[in-house]
Amino acid sequence: MITFENVDVVFPNGFQGLKGIDLTINQGEFVGIVGLSGAGKSTLIRAVNGLVPYTSGSLSVGETVVDPKSKTKLRRLRSKVGMIFQSFNLVNRISVLNNVLTGRSAYTPTWRSMLGWYRAADKELAFQCLERVGIVEKAYERASSLSGGQQQRVAIARVLAQDPEVMLADEPVAALDPPTAHRVMRDLRRIQRELGMTCIVNMHHLDLARSYADRIIGMRAGEVVFDGPVAEATDAVIEEVYQRSMTAEDVVADDVPVSVEETADATEHDPDNDDAHHDDDPAVLGSDDPGSNDPGSNNAEQARL
Amino acid sequence: MTAVAESDSSAGSPGTGVGTGSSGTGRSSTERPKQPRPSALAYLGLLGLAAAAFAFFWWSRESTDVLFLPLGGVTLWAPQNPLIGLLIMLGLLIVCWRVRIGEMAAFGALTFVIVTYWAGENIDFTLASIWERWDNLAGQLAAFFNPNWSYVFGVWDEWLVTLNMAIVATIIGCSIGLVLAMFASPVSSPNKATSQTIKALNSVIRSIPDVGWALLFVAMIGGTAYGLGPLAGVLALLMFNIGIVAKLLGETIDAASPGPIEAADSTGANLTQRNRIAVLPQVLPGFTSYSLYVFELNIRASTAIGIVGVGGIGHELNLQMNRFAWENVASILYMLIIVVLLVDLFSLWIRRRLM
Repeated sequence: MITFENVDVVFPNGFQGLKGIDLTINQGEFVGIVGLSGAGKSTLIRAVNGLVPYTSGSLSVGETVVDPKSKTKLRRLRSKVGMIFQSFNLVNRISVLNNVLTGRSAYTPTWRSMLGWYRAADKELAFQCLERVGIVEKAYERASSLSGGQQQRVAIARVLAQDPEVMLADEPVAALDPPTAHRVMRDLRRIQRELGMTCIVNMHHLDLARSYADRIIGMRAGEVVFDGPVAEATDAVIEEVYQRSMTAEDVVADDVPVSVEETADATEHDPDNDDAHHDDDPAVLGSDDPGSNDPGSNNAEQARL
Repeated sequence: MTAVAESDSSAGSPGTGVGTGSSGTGRSSTERPKQPRPSALAYLGLLGLAAAAFAFFWWSRESTDVLFLPLGGVTLWAPQNPLIGLLIMLGLLIVCWRVRIGEMAAFGALTFVIVTYWAGENIDFTLASIWERWDNLAGQLAAFFNPNWSYVFGVWDEWLVTLNMAIVATIIGCSIGLVLAMFASPVSSPNKATSQTIKALNSVIRSIPDVGWALLFVAMIGGTAYGLGPLAGVLALLMFNIGIVAKLLGETIDAASPGPIEAADSTGANLTQRNRIAVLPQVLPGFTSYSLYVFELNIRASTAIGIVGVGGIGHELNLQMNRFAWENVASILYMLIIVVLLVDLFSLWIRRRLM
């Protein structure tokens, strides 16, 4: 269980990343966080493992209070909180297996890490983790030789090697193509269920959040503005979170063939600067809820497309 | 569009196309945008600057060479060097004006000429002395084209000493340099204070040149005269190497990709583990490359510092120079070129295999 009590994050430059966050995330929950970029999604996730220190309030993971001031306590916490990243963050020049073994650092004496001489048990565990994500045959290949989807699987295996209670994922599939994104998310969901982990995932694409998460948290300007089960996260609610109507960019383009035409449409009309034209053209709206939006913001969106 | 239409109508015949412009007077060709002219006022100012520099050169000259300029009835005279300087400056400004170089660039070029003149004049730099002392030089030059090859193989053990000094210094120096670089870069050091301290220490080490370190160690522990030449040499090269590797590698670490480092942090690794796991693999190619470069430098530098009394081929070179045995000196220098080239090829080969 992860508990935020009135948590603020103020960055050294004075920017307030999080404002008075109150949240409780239960053991075994799969939470999707949505919001525009700059809304504080990454900050929220990084506060949990102390990569971004929170400045006031109280934040605890299970029984442990996150203490950004004590490096030792942070390390102990992080050993139980795994994290995967948008750009995978593997060490490219070493093997897949060694990347996974990186996840065992907190349980490995420093001298063993220095020599790269890991225990046989750790290696066996690493192999099991690679098995779970289905790329055990790549164990001795260089991480950089793998495709994006495979690299993210290695990153997931690295987290599994930590034997974590919580997994944080910061835009885990934003760098992947739509079919691969779905496959990686499916694996992530399956593993999360099998191991009963708590999982917090930032997602850029709303449809991914809806298909894979149990619960959705919407953020805007460092605050939680929506928190509820997937069923409650309707388009109208999410548009309220985004403070604008939804566009094709908010969903993964996998099974939305219309998006290509849309883009073409927008570029075709753009040079004419014919704003009025878009208003009576409902096809250009990515949302299937055209009733609730304001034409002005629509045009701005289309111009951006 | 209009220009094309005009040239078409003036040519009268359709289909002449591009040829129209060149076949006509040339005036009728398409109007091109003109390169903007630099400010004439600024160029006048630069002319003033050139005149001022000329006056300064005249006033501060030390050479008494004078040029006479017969102009009809009267003969003007001017000091030789400042006059040449003035002509160069004027020529430069004329060329800059003709090709319409902006005033700032022209100012830069003029400053370059002035500073070069000033620096050269201060140290009386002239190649004329080479001609004046040609008799002295000719004999030595002849010796250099006639090296004593039988000698160079007689001192192969000195070459071995040089090579061994370079190897030991490279291995130890680069290892220490690696550790210092890890502490010096804010990316991998425990805290800012450590990073700043190590960086400052590093600057001090680098500010003393290799010959400086050699003199220092020869003075402290004794050079070849006490049979400790190689030790002093290795220590001098070591300090030299630490400075270079710590600096170059520190900057490479600064540029390491932060993603894997953040990932290592997120697994709960401690600082040493994190640096070993996420930083070292990223900078290892750079480190190898720098080490090989440093090895090359060491071969060259060990020759130079041999002259101040550490062992190796440099010591032998010094002996032969003191004996004016130019054939032997020449053979050592030629051999040095070959050895350095070989080391260069070797390191190139290794680098290719490692990348």
